Amino acid sequence: MTTTLHSNDQSLALAIEPDAGKRKLSTAKAIQEAISQRMARDESVFVMGEDVGPYGGIFSSTTGLIDRFGPERVLDTPISESAFIGLGIGAAVEGMRPIVELMFADFFGVCMDQIYNHMAKIHYESGGNVRVPMVLMTAAGGGYSDGAQHSQCLWGTFAHLPGMKVVVPSNPYDAKGLMAAAIESDDPVVFMFHKGIMGLGWMAKNKRSIGAVPEGEYFVPIGKARVAREGTDVTIVTVSLSVHHSLDVAERLEPEGISVEVIDLRSLVPLDREAIVRSVSKTGRLIVVDEDYQSFGLSGEVIAAVAEHDPTLLKRVSRVCVPDVPIPYARELEYAVLPTPARIEAAVRDAMAT
Amino acid sequence: MTDVLFPVISEAEDATGVIVTWFVESGDKVTPATLIAEVAMDKVDAEVYPETSGVITLVVEEEKEVPQGTVIAQVT
Amino acid sequence: MTPPTTKTLTDEGRRGLLRTMVLIRTYEEAIRREYYADKKPAFDIGAGLVPGEMHLSAGQEPVAAGTCAHLTPEDALTATHRPHHVAIAKGVALRPMTAEIFGRETGLGRGRGGHMHLFDPSTHFSCSGIIAEGLPPALGQAFAFQRQGSDRVAVAVTGEGAANAGAFHESLNLAALWKLPVVFVVEDNDWGISVPRAQSTSVVSNADRATAYGIPGVRVEDNSVEAVYAAAGEAVARARSGGGPTLIEVHTLRLWGHFEGDAEGYRPDLTSVPEHDPIPIYRNRLLETGVLTDGQYQAMQASAAEQVEDAIDFAKNSPTPDPLDHLSYVFSEGVNS
Repeated sequence: MTTTLHSNDQSLALAIEPDAGKRKLSTAKAIQEAISQRMARDESVFVMGEDVGPYGGIFSSTTGLIDRFGPERVLDTPISESAFIGLGIGAAVEGMRPIVELMFADFFGVCMDQIYNHMAKIHYESGGNVRVPMVLMTAAGGGYSDGAQHSQCLWGTFAHLPGMKVVVPSNPYDAKGLMAAAIESDDPVVFMFHKGIMGLGWMAKNKRSIGAVPEGEYFVPIGKARVAREGTDVTIVTVSLSVHHSLDVAERLEPEGISVEVIDLRSLVPLDREAIVRSVSKTGRLIVVDEDYQSFGLSGEVIAAVAEHDPTLLKRVSRVCVPDVPIPYARELEYAVLPTPARIEAAVRDAMAT
Repeated sequence: MTDVLFPVISEAEDATGVIVTWFVESGDKVTPATLIAEVAMDKVDAEVYPETSGVITLVVEEEKEVPQGTVIAQVT
Repeated sequence: MTPPTTKTLTDEGRRGLLRTMVLIRTYEEAIRREYYADKKPAFDIGAGLVPGEMHLSAGQEPVAAGTCAHLTPEDALTATHRPHHVAIAKGVALRPMTAEIFGRETGLGRGRGGHMHLFDPSTHFSCSGIIAEGLPPALGQAFAFQRQGSDRVAVAVTGEGAANAGAFHESLNLAALWKLPVVFVVEDNDWGISVPRAQSTSVVSNADRATAYGIPGVRVEDNSVEAVYAAAGEAVARARSGGGPTLIEVHTLRLWGHFEGDAEGYRPDLTSVPEHDPIPIYRNRLLETGVLTDGQYQAMQASAAEQVEDAIDFAKNSPTPDPLDHLSYVFSEGVNS
């Protein structure tokens, strides 16, 4: 189905989810390419954040941009998240399209007021008269021993608060398309990338963090999930790095005759409730895999989406999340809390056992 | 046939590095515009593009430590 | 860098400043009247045509009039939870502003924002209820103006209490570092709700904090509209000509409570407050120096009353929002997104 994407003068009639082609990129390079291609034709777009300039972003989200566009359009900021995120808001209000990087999602504490009370609320409070066409991009996720303050996902927290779209790509193709859509959107979009999907040389990477990406500009629609793998026995609804782990588990279980359908949500706000319900209607078994904290977040919301629609659809339901604990440092402990392939597999077998 | 070499990044002659990511597989068609690999040495990353067009055969696998200047792939 | 000469104040200019202050005071008195009218017998904050918190700016008119005299509709201004005086001085139209305060569909925010969240794109005016958080967006507006090649400026108005909040310090540093065309105006009305400045602030004057960020700082001591005018004129000219930001602190006067309903038991100066009311003081000065006649003053009051009552009538006669429409305007795609 076609999704209505807001068009403005700067936008060509761009393809929506075209063929991937053969050319491969890492997720980091795909994000860089989306930003670069838009900046090349739209003077109003600029990038701002800590170490986004010559360093290229701590997780390589902006590598090469300053060489191409210069320090006037790719700005290193002081460690002043409230000031520079707020600056992004003011610039957006006056017709620019800022891409602001919050280095780690974990850092939202120092600047959340600008994010949830200003960026997210100005459009509504002004009765639609003021728009904030801003992208807030941020790195999330753990698995490399960065400890409790640098390993969180937190998309549930952003998704919980009204007024900002939240997108969480799992692979290079979606990352480029969703970044393009985020920049294009007249709404504030929080673009959250798991460090483990970026294809970085200095962190263990899943093979799916490298993938085919169209060379031209294109959009992936915000608010639409994707069936990453079709199946008939169990539905896994998941997002981000957990998509890769779920696919790995699904591949491993297929020879045993267990058919797992994997839904990659891609966006949390808007949430594609129809896609979730469609899949669970087929399988009757729902497992939510979410690297964010278990309670009061995404996993409960996904289950509620099905239960509100028709609770009889759910013959089995469970969730594989990070429990409600600060993420530990020691590797044995960290991997005990993460939604690992082993935990996912156990959940699938458990769901099939009845 | 053209050799694709691990870039010479370091001043130390015997410096070694690794291929971080292959973006292509053996048998893929490449041109000088094709990004084929990302390598790392001494915390410096470098992108590798072939000098000629043709079909590529990978010689060294990811994460194997090799001296700079080593043949890492061939294009025919 | 020496800013270009600011425009000197003519007699007409002086009367203009007074006219603005009279309009603001007339407005605030009328809003106060409307606010309390239907909250009796016992004060119920959620009752009536203007429910919720109400923070009125009586006594602080000189800051608004003196600063905004140097601004055009194209300049930006961010204000606080106590926004009416700067909104009016900035040129926000009274009818949609009042309709918003009354929560009507014809309001600036279609009733969704209320008195602390007034947004007027046509005058680039906005305000926010979170202390000090109006400063960062003003930086962004200034940044955009600079990038767009104009000499437009952004003014961020805040209170002396905000000068102790993190966003204040981050904003001063970043504005100075990037030499943004911003003017920071701190209204020191002595009170952060019930806490006097001496109990909250480590320095005697926030203008002194400007040197910590390498920018000029000016303290206006006596709530004088002409002193504000002079300081603001220099600061705005400096910003327009690429000289970067300035911090102005005005020692002003909060005539009434922090919010309406505030008993102000904490305030020892209450009996002496009225004699410091800046409007009669300035009016008398202009009368004494022959700049103003009684007739002119009465005309100002009459005109103000007419505009204010018109705006209130407009608000009262405007439709209230449809409850079924509560989900609209979260995102920009359309009414029901």
